[in-house]
Amino acid sequence: MKKSVYKSAMSHLKTSDDFQEATYIKLMNHKETMNMEMAKKRRKVTGWTAGIAACAVLAVGLIALNPDSPATTPSSPPTNTATTKPPIMGKVAVNIDGIISEVSADGRSFKVGELWVEVTDQTKLGSSEPTAAAPSEELLQKNFQVGDIVSGYTSQDVSTGKVTADVIYNLIAPEKEGETSEAKPAITGKMAVNIDGVISEVSADGKSFKVGELWVTVTPETKLGIDGPTAAAPSEELLQKEFKVGNIVSGFTTDDVSMGKVNATNIYNNMAPQQ
Amino acid sequence: MYNSFELNESVRRALELYSPSLIRIAFAYLKNTADAEEVTQDVFLAYLQKRPVFDNGEHEKAWLIRTTINKSKNMLKTGWFRSRNPVPEDLSYLPKEESDVLQAVLALDKKYRIPIHLHYYEGYSIQEIAAILEAKPATVGTWLARGRAILKEKIGGMEDEEVCL
Repeated sequence: MKKSVYKSAMSHLKTSDDFQEATYIKLMNHKETMNMEMAKKRRKVTGWTAGIAACAVLAVGLIALNPDSPATTPSSPPTNTATTKPPIMGKVAVNIDGIISEVSADGRSFKVGELWVEVTDQTKLGSSEPTAAAPSEELLQKNFQVGDIVSGYTSQDVSTGKVTADVIYNLIAPEKEGETSEAKPAITGKMAVNIDGVISEVSADGKSFKVGELWVTVTPETKLGIDGPTAAAPSEELLQKEFKVGNIVSGFTTDDVSMGKVNATNIYNNMAPQQ
Repeated sequence: MYNSFELNESVRRALELYSPSLIRIAFAYLKNTADAEEVTQDVFLAYLQKRPVFDNGEHEKAWLIRTTINKSKNMLKTGWFRSRNPVPEDLSYLPKEESDVLQAVLALDKKYRIPIHLHYYEGYSIQEIAAILEAKPATVGTWLARGRAILKEKIGGMEDEEVCL
């Protein structure tokens, strides 16, 4: 075979004149479609990712809210769940808290609400917590009386209406009226009442003025101006020496205002009204 | 990795450089220019989608030829291609000698046809053809020898015109 003849024949083979241009245009069109599909896929992936993330957040939220719920499908019958679940260990403690409404004849049982509570030798008295108050004398003597405030707990079934107390933290007798005033310390200190308003009347000597229904007398003991590290220095404008009708005055007194006449303890300001 | 501009330029350059060769390889397989052009377009589509990275131009050409051969084989296997009865390619526009030689080569079994085309048209050596066809060089040598022998029977030729492989 002549090498040149085959090569020449193949070289003369007629193909489409615009093959290269047509192919290039087709490829570029395809590339555009590919790019659009990729963008669509990316959007889809983003959507799925966001959806899955939202589901995960919801799932975590649900698990966090229901930590005791079984991890298996909720549709499983409750009987199966009960059999497969391990039995709950430990005791349920119920608080005994309230006022004793009845005490038994032997004095060893008392009634709080609808529950009869018996105190035995096994009942622990007082609290072992380091910050707990010391048990009262009544408690130590087991002297339960109607009206006493009792607190403690039992691990027995309260539905029977009668339980033995595991622990009685404290037993407090109610305060008696006579004892209250004696026992309570006297309240000390003074009550201060603000003097704030417009002077409606001034006495003849100029040392007293009326604000509202209260006559206020300025004595040599009355402190003038405002103390304190951040207070402004008293000025003639803010604290005039003469009290005049229409002036705006502020201060306070520790006297009893019910008398209608007081001595001012402190006068902060005595300002003429703005024109 | 190409950026968009580089890819476009790469495809355009490959089209200019290799599309005539690829169409002819596909033609040697499919014996029809329209099908050959369709396969060649598919090859460049694969080029665009896979974005292969080549060591050099020869590597690029070898990849394109291999892809053309695979896609031509696939087309030959398709049911619609087998079932159709196409009109033989009109090669009457070629000079008679060229037409006779081409018809004779196209009449060969494809296992001889392709190595002959790659050797006589593309100028590849046995080793190179073996690499492209993923065959042993000795096998390729046998295919070439047998193909040449069949052609010699059909179209004749002088002893001194034999191609020395």
